[in-house]
Amino acid sequence: MATFHVLQEGPVNALALNRDNTQVAIGGRNVFKVYTIEEDKFREVCNLRASKHLNLSFSCNDVSWSWTDDHYLATAATNGHVCVWNLTKMGKAMQEQDYQEHKRTVNKVNFHASEPNRLISGSQDGTMRYFDIRAKNAVAIFYSNTESVRDVQFSPHNPYTFAAVSENGSVQLWDVRRSDKCQQQFAAHSGPIFACDWHPENTWLATASRDKTIKVWDLTSKLTLEYTIHTIASIGHVKWRPQRRFHIASCALVVDCSINIWDVRRPYIPYASFNEHKDTPSGVAWKEDPHVFLSSGRDSTLYQHSFDYASRPAKKANPQGVSLNNRGEILYAHKTNVSTLVKAPSVGIIRKTSTTQAPDLFHLASSLMHQFTLSTENKSESQIFIGLAKNYILSGRSLSEMCEHNSAVANQYGKNQISVVWKIMKTMYGEEYLQNNSNNNNNNREDVISHNNLPLNMGLDHNNDNDQRSRGGGDTPAAQFSDETENEDQVDHIAIYNNGFPTYLNIRTGLPKGDFSFGENELDMELDGIMTDFQSGYRNFVTPQQDFVLPNEAFHIRHEIRTRSPPPDKFPNNFPVLSDDQNMPFEEQPNNLLTVSCLPKMPLWDPSSIVLDALKHHAMLGDVQTAACVLIVLGEQRKCLSDLDESTQEHWLLGYIELLSRFQLWNIATQIIKLSWIPAVEQLNQQSTRFNTNCSKCSKALQRIGWLCDRCHSSQYAACSVCHQVVKGLYAWCQGCSHGGHLLHMKQWFAVNKMCPTGCRHLCEYK
Amino acid sequence: MFEAQEINAEHKDLIHDVAYDFYGQRMATCSSDQYVKVWDQNSDGKWTLTSSWKAHSGSVWKVTWAHPEFGQVLATCSFDRTAAVWEEIVGETPGPGERGTRHWVRRTNLVDSRTSVTDVKFGPRTQGLQLATCSAEGIIRIYEAPDVLNLSQWTLQFEIQCKLPCSCLSWNPSLSKMHPLMLAVGSDDPNPANGVKVFIYVYSESCRKWTKMDAITNITDPVYDLSFSPNLGRSFHVLAIATKDVKIVNLPHVYDNPNSQNVITKLDAQIVAQFDDHESTVWRVCWNVTGTILASSGDDGCVRMFKMNYINSWKPIAVLRGDGSQVSNEGQRSSVSSTVGPQIQSASQTARYIKLGAISQPRDVPWH
Repeated sequence: MATFHVLQEGPVNALALNRDNTQVAIGGRNVFKVYTIEEDKFREVCNLRASKHLNLSFSCNDVSWSWTDDHYLATAATNGHVCVWNLTKMGKAMQEQDYQEHKRTVNKVNFHASEPNRLISGSQDGTMRYFDIRAKNAVAIFYSNTESVRDVQFSPHNPYTFAAVSENGSVQLWDVRRSDKCQQQFAAHSGPIFACDWHPENTWLATASRDKTIKVWDLTSKLTLEYTIHTIASIGHVKWRPQRRFHIASCALVVDCSINIWDVRRPYIPYASFNEHKDTPSGVAWKEDPHVFLSSGRDSTLYQHSFDYASRPAKKANPQGVSLNNRGEILYAHKTNVSTLVKAPSVGIIRKTSTTQAPDLFHLASSLMHQFTLSTENKSESQIFIGLAKNYILSGRSLSEMCEHNSAVANQYGKNQISVVWKIMKTMYGEEYLQNNSNNNNNNREDVISHNNLPLNMGLDHNNDNDQRSRGGGDTPAAQFSDETENEDQVDHIAIYNNGFPTYLNIRTGLPKGDFSFGENELDMELDGIMTDFQSGYRNFVTPQQDFVLPNEAFHIRHEIRTRSPPPDKFPNNFPVLSDDQNMPFEEQPNNLLTVSCLPKMPLWDPSSIVLDALKHHAMLGDVQTAACVLIVLGEQRKCLSDLDESTQEHWLLGYIELLSRFQLWNIATQIIKLSWIPAVEQLNQQSTRFNTNCSKCSKALQRIGWLCDRCHSSQYAACSVCHQVVKGLYAWCQGCSHGGHLLHMKQWFAVNKMCPTGCRHLCEYK
Repeated sequence: MFEAQEINAEHKDLIHDVAYDFYGQRMATCSSDQYVKVWDQNSDGKWTLTSSWKAHSGSVWKVTWAHPEFGQVLATCSFDRTAAVWEEIVGETPGPGERGTRHWVRRTNLVDSRTSVTDVKFGPRTQGLQLATCSAEGIIRIYEAPDVLNLSQWTLQFEIQCKLPCSCLSWNPSLSKMHPLMLAVGSDDPNPANGVKVFIYVYSESCRKWTKMDAITNITDPVYDLSFSPNLGRSFHVLAIATKDVKIVNLPHVYDNPNSQNVITKLDAQIVAQFDDHESTVWRVCWNVTGTILASSGDDGCVRMFKMNYINSWKPIAVLRGDGSQVSNEGQRSSVSSTVGPQIQSASQTARYIKLGAISQPRDVPWH
């Protein structure tokens, strides 16, 4: 079934189908035509406005087609006339009757469904008139006692009953035989009611109003409001869908150009929408087939719509919602799976379900919501974050001390990796190291040059050592390394290492024995992992031909080891480099096996690039805490990280501050801002710091420093409410009544009282 | 690993969106029943309904919180063609220590759209109060409140024609001033012939205009949700896209160069992961606050979580059932349908090491 339309000369106000749905009459201010509905188009049968004697009777608000005699049309004219047209006649004779009884516009006209020749009209003048089209005058007049009647509809269940709705929001039920008094009247809406429609089977009446609702009333014995549909705009027209008990079509009066079909049981979202009209639709007429209907619109069109082309707003609607919060909790709302809910009860009534091909589940939409919380046995990431943030020391001590402390803190929270990062920071930038190089921490290049000038403490032996170890750890062929030494830079580097290495060893030996609180193997793994991470960022040490990538191995084996304790005999296997290394002076420092084995690799590279890579690595994994904290602790040393542009530093700091404020760790956030060296971050503490004070007497803003009011020429209103002395210094005041005074006096006062000490009767809140 | 707590929202129709506030202590829900509800968490973790009001005259599609520095502010968008900004008003406290009455006031109603408003999001906090909406007619609108203390005045700053019906949008939340404003918009247009369904727009401060970027060219399936990852310190942006599967896309930083006249209109985006674990339509993608974990939900009724491991490849880590239960044994599903880029492929090869270790199930990976 196709959707098609025909364009008219002007807006169409109403449409009416004939008894067997083959023809349609449309009426508007400048339109009055009859069309035959063909397979895929409308064919004009007759244009009633083709007459030479056009007058206002040809401008219709409404049109109705007789149910009993296919030749009769009735129209409601804007000038208050009700006209009856005989389609079998020609010319002027077509207009068989012209009732000029209504004083104002006629809004609605309707033929009786079973009584031939009977017709009812509802008008803006507040009356309804019952006509016999053979008679010259109305048979009966019904006074609604309201301002205006917008719609009248005969009941399909009782031939004598009709419903009338009016602009004051009330519904009246009348018996055509009794014009003195309505049978029933009730207030249905808070705004004007524009339309009503009787349900074809139930004793339901649907009313549509400007208050953006469609209400369905059950009129059986006791009046009940069955359903309320909330629409997005005032509704001008409603029509029940044939053969679908709960479906009703609606047209908006303004705003909404679509025709919506609602399931009254799901009153929030249309079951189907037809968006073909470019302006608001004015009427809907079903063709007795639930899938086809006609509509007229103020965009001067007449449409035939088919359900094949309906849009289903509910299907586009997102049925799920997910949200994560800073504590790692997950909120999940999702549509309940109704098909499983429905299956169970339908077992006993198989016949009923089998009659409909697919059970209509549209109205059974509902959602379930769950919050998933991390169970308490796992220390959540957020708790660790808070713990680290609270316990890190970022200033006030020497770099080594801070690193040492922070390393221990990280370790305490199970963050071994971060712990090691801090350790490395200590070894690379700690004071002991720096004392030897105190003159040269401005620039990397200068570093290198000045190192060259220093005497080489260690001889070639150690140079060899480094060479060997680089072979073992980084899996770099020695040949390649020696190639690189031809490079001037590399020579420089080796010079540094030779200088830095012994100092470094000194630090290690100076440490207490119980320093590493985790297992030796674990530390080894951690370091390896980090080292290899560094490698991947370091230009010369990862060759493209490498067979395997060490970082992966390093990190995954870590888990494997966790589950079982390593057998002691494995110990030497962990140091293949050492055991193979003939040049290593084991005997000299047997206690430092561990440290010697893995740490001398570090001086192989300029530490700044390694540190940078480490920090970037952490930042990328979302651990901006480590990146920002290390930067802060490094203090002036961060200038060594010349490759780290200020914008990245700013990004990390802002990221960390953002996270801290999410956890409401304001003090720590403020500390970070205070310790920061980037203007954009420092500024954060200088925003909104200004307080304007007003005189407590005349409310004039105090311009001067101090408490002298320019208007009152006195500072006595800055006096303490308790001791009546002018407060110098800290003035504590209630923001509610603006009274206050010395902090100590206020404290004492509110320890026993609740009200303001001035007697203004304000319940000051002082804590 | 997870405990499920059912919250009876008592919405009379589908819940379309849920949102935690900045601190994770309040949440807002919105539903087709045209109501928005705000919940507060008490000290023992129970959620209590504090406000509930009829917000729109149509289904409420999305609800979103503004940064708390602007007050307790919500924005909603609806089928009724409007978006609204709401502010919570706390009444006079009846006495010290007692909580005053609270209610939400509609501060503004944005009525520019002629069709359903499908998404609304507040811009990054650093930009003041900005609000982006997108609609079924394919227009993105960007509003600004010039005075952050006056939430009833919003000016329409930009209208961007997107040609396809929009379903979702996301601001790049980057805090760095170096990164220009960036918006991603998705379309749920079902016809693949209509081309790409993800649009990236970048704002140039010097030209004062939004420029569409050619970034993601190969997503032609309808997109239901997308979300930029919080960027606390990464050197690239990450965008998650919910379509027939979950996609994770890396986008490079864009720098606004005021000196150059020719505006860059191309971004080198890279799809780094693709998960079809839901085996159905994916409706939602959502990041945790650090941008390390991605949660997605789909028609299979599950929330699936993904995390990037140390070698920069994304792996599923947990599955949560919508009925509150946790999937007991999902096993080691081969979920990475295709990974893009040689770097990632080598990573997935080396990932075989995992099986040698103690990790047999994705959920066994320590919660990070």
